[in-house]
Amino acid sequence: MDTSNQLHTSLASTTIPLPSLTWLQNLVSSRATPLPPLASLVATARARLLASDLCTPGLLDQAYAATHALPVSPSGPGETTLPTDVAVQVLDIEDISRSRWEQVEELEGLARGEGTRGREVVRLPLGSEVEGEGEGEGEGEGERGQTQQQPQQQGQGQGQRQGAPGQDRAATARPPAKNAMHKLVLQDCRGQKIYALELQRIERLSKTHIGEKMILRAGTVIARGVVLLDPAKCVFLGGKVEAWHRAWVDGRLARLKEGAREEGE
Amino acid sequence: MTRILCVAEKPSIAKAVAGHLSGGIYQTNNTRDTYVKNYTFDYDFGPPWGHSSVTMTSVKGHLTSTEFPEDYKSWEYPPPDRLFDAPVLTVVPTNNKTIAKNIEDQAKRATGLVIWTDCDREGEHIGSEIRDAAKKGNRNILVKRARFSNIERAHILTAARQLGLLDEKQVDAVSARIELDLRIGYCFTRFLTLSLRPLGGPLSNLTLSYGSCQFPTLGFVVDRYFRVKNFVPEQFWGIKVAHEREGIKVNFNWARHRLFDRMAVVILYERCLAAKTAKVTKVQEKPTKKWKPLPLTTVELQKLATRFLRMSGQQAMTIAEKLYTRGFISYPRTETDRFDRGMDLRALVRKQTPDPRWGTFAQNLADGAFQQPREGRHDDKAHPPIHPVAYVAPAALGDDGEKRIYELVTRRFLACCSEDAQGMASDVEIVYGEETFAAHGVTVLARNYLDVYPYENWTGTAMLPRFMVGELFEPAEALLTEGKTTPPAYLTEADLIALMDANGIGTDATMAEHIEKIQERQYVRTVERGGNNNNNNNGDEEEANAPAARGGGRGRGRGRGGRGGRGGRNGGNGNGNGGGSGVREFIPTSLGVALIEGFDRMQFETSLGKPFLRKEMELKMKAICEGRTTKQAVLSESIGGYRQVYNQSKAALSVLKAACRQYVFQNAG
Repeated sequence: MDTSNQLHTSLASTTIPLPSLTWLQNLVSSRATPLPPLASLVATARARLLASDLCTPGLLDQAYAATHALPVSPSGPGETTLPTDVAVQVLDIEDISRSRWEQVEELEGLARGEGTRGREVVRLPLGSEVEGEGEGEGEGEGERGQTQQQPQQQGQGQGQRQGAPGQDRAATARPPAKNAMHKLVLQDCRGQKIYALELQRIERLSKTHIGEKMILRAGTVIARGVVLLDPAKCVFLGGKVEAWHRAWVDGRLARLKEGAREEGE
Repeated sequence: MTRILCVAEKPSIAKAVAGHLSGGIYQTNNTRDTYVKNYTFDYDFGPPWGHSSVTMTSVKGHLTSTEFPEDYKSWEYPPPDRLFDAPVLTVVPTNNKTIAKNIEDQAKRATGLVIWTDCDREGEHIGSEIRDAAKKGNRNILVKRARFSNIERAHILTAARQLGLLDEKQVDAVSARIELDLRIGYCFTRFLTLSLRPLGGPLSNLTLSYGSCQFPTLGFVVDRYFRVKNFVPEQFWGIKVAHEREGIKVNFNWARHRLFDRMAVVILYERCLAAKTAKVTKVQEKPTKKWKPLPLTTVELQKLATRFLRMSGQQAMTIAEKLYTRGFISYPRTETDRFDRGMDLRALVRKQTPDPRWGTFAQNLADGAFQQPREGRHDDKAHPPIHPVAYVAPAALGDDGEKRIYELVTRRFLACCSEDAQGMASDVEIVYGEETFAAHGVTVLARNYLDVYPYENWTGTAMLPRFMVGELFEPAEALLTEGKTTPPAYLTEADLIALMDANGIGTDATMAEHIEKIQERQYVRTVERGGNNNNNNNGDEEEANAPAARGGGRGRGRGRGGRGGRGGRNGGNGNGNGGGSGVREFIPTSLGVALIEGFDRMQFETSLGKPFLRKEMELKMKAICEGRTTKQAVLSESIGGYRQVYNQSKAALSVLKAACRQYVFQNAG
């Protein structure tokens, strides 16, 4: 069995979406010989896959894609459940337990290098990175990301951690939200989009990156066309699509402001 | 017989201490200052001085002041930043010359000097000024320091027998503060005024003072103003569940409180309805209490006074100061919120038994209900929490303000020595659909401290009917609710004090003065909450031309010399006018907004409108007091920091000017 096939077999036994053989062959052939050990190749494949857009043609194994997509039309007023496991990626996430304006004020404070601790105004260290409103703030979603995220991301490419300096800054600004409730936009490998709600608190969601991959297990409830996330029925695979995440972070303040103004009418 | 010279911080204290030490028999001699008297009597200090002939006199706050030499007096030249390193002279101002001379003359004949200034940093420094004056007359005079925190007789007698030394570290901390405030205040005030006057219009005649506490204080007001102004209301939705049992209607509140997404709430709501029945997951009935307050600090006193007594923090302090001077309450400038275990609090409680309003309550405490007060975490190691030291009948107090402050201090003290209010709380938690809801009920069983402390209340709710864990029921009512967020309120004085406190702007003792100053300067005005703003404009212009140097802000100082005159002035200014019950709110003037926005927009790391620079300075003063750094180190460091800000401000002056044009002249762009 050649290396790509071996890789295919190994990956098939994991929870990550199964890539196509062609994609794996490309991956293997791009590596200089001698090839590193299989375990290391598996890690590389995993990291690359999780950093890719699931909808990329030819990315996923066809049989896998066919059986791991959302039902064609899951909407309607009633409740249904997913008949199979579904692989999805995160396109958007927002905390609907806090007003948008509250989040705007916080982001603007962070941009000035200020946070609050009770009544006290605290000066947050401004990182050496270019003063971008986006940089640190979006990462603010990921409180204490640095320490907690690492274990789940073994095997991810080095590039994943870039842009992290702002994280500590954001972390000092806000304690972990116990009552957070997130609303997400998810997308399956066919490009179908669906809303998802954090029905029970899932700590992991506070540090989700855009482009992160998840598996929604069979039996996951869909109500009014919205996925109700059940911690027992979803698997977080990690990952991030760098460009998407950056754009999301950069546009977050503007989106929140606009959203608030629309809501306020 | 040994001759001893005693000097207090103000004439009233000199008189009171003389009265106690002499047993009431002393001779009064006039000095060349109308208010300062010399009291002579005999007193036995114990070894080494023993039986002595004592002269007790006083200063009137700070004896000396600092200033720049003659050739720096002109605003036009040299340029303001030369004041960062110009020589600073310590001089005895004209109005204090006779007082200094009196001390010098008295010292000539004395073996020892006992300093009776207030026991705080500022008092320590005044002590050093007195020492220097005395040493001028007698280089060999032995200098001692009396430590006391109220002028109750026994306390004073003890202090006289346990003389210590001046704390040079505290003296250094204050002189560092005085020098920094002088340099920074003068420099930035000249810079601002000279830079902005040319813009003309309303600015052409103003003195635009800068003070290292004033500006951050103004910054808080401006910050809140913009938060209110920029606020965008948003809709939110929630779920409310109600049920009726045993004739009692129970409201269950949603654990999520509210969400800002209608679709999400609709889905959750539908799932509740689909579930039909709710399940009781928790039923709890347990004793609960409302804690009695902590012992009273200066900051708390000011907050309470502004909230409940319709006076400004500054007015409250002036009155408290008077009550202290007359021996009715302990020293009102304190950070301490715990009583020393050794204090005989019961004796103090017993003194309050004659009062018609709280006498019975005090009697009850004295008869055994007394409980040791709670202990907070602050201890300035100088003064106990504010408490009454002697009983005074309302008729013996002059005005209404004095009565109310004395009442507040006393009620607070009695509340501290009483018991927490006791109640019974019941909680029922249900799960309905996948959502959690909770109902809460309280029955107040014993009001205890609340009986003497009307500034707080605790009302019970209806008792909850009986529920059982595991029980299923169909809620009578489940509603999808909606609402809109509302902007925060403008700052009240209590809010502002709390912010200053949390951010190290000024000290408990000086906050009220900074707040008053930014009103005098027309940087902010106050209006009655919810009231009509029109008749409360900035009508306190008489102060606008006060010398800029004062605006420089006696950061930590309290403008001691001026204490006497304070009370009168308060009445006339922004705080006092306008009747009504309302709490007053602080709103910046266009000038105030322009100054803060101007500095903020310059975007250098430490905007003068932010609390950071000042906070560092306060921390450094503490460090000097604790011996962790020196006056010299602090001076050069802080001056360096402010010099940098000065240079940056100068370079970015156009930004500040643009802000003034925009806000003061309503000239966009």
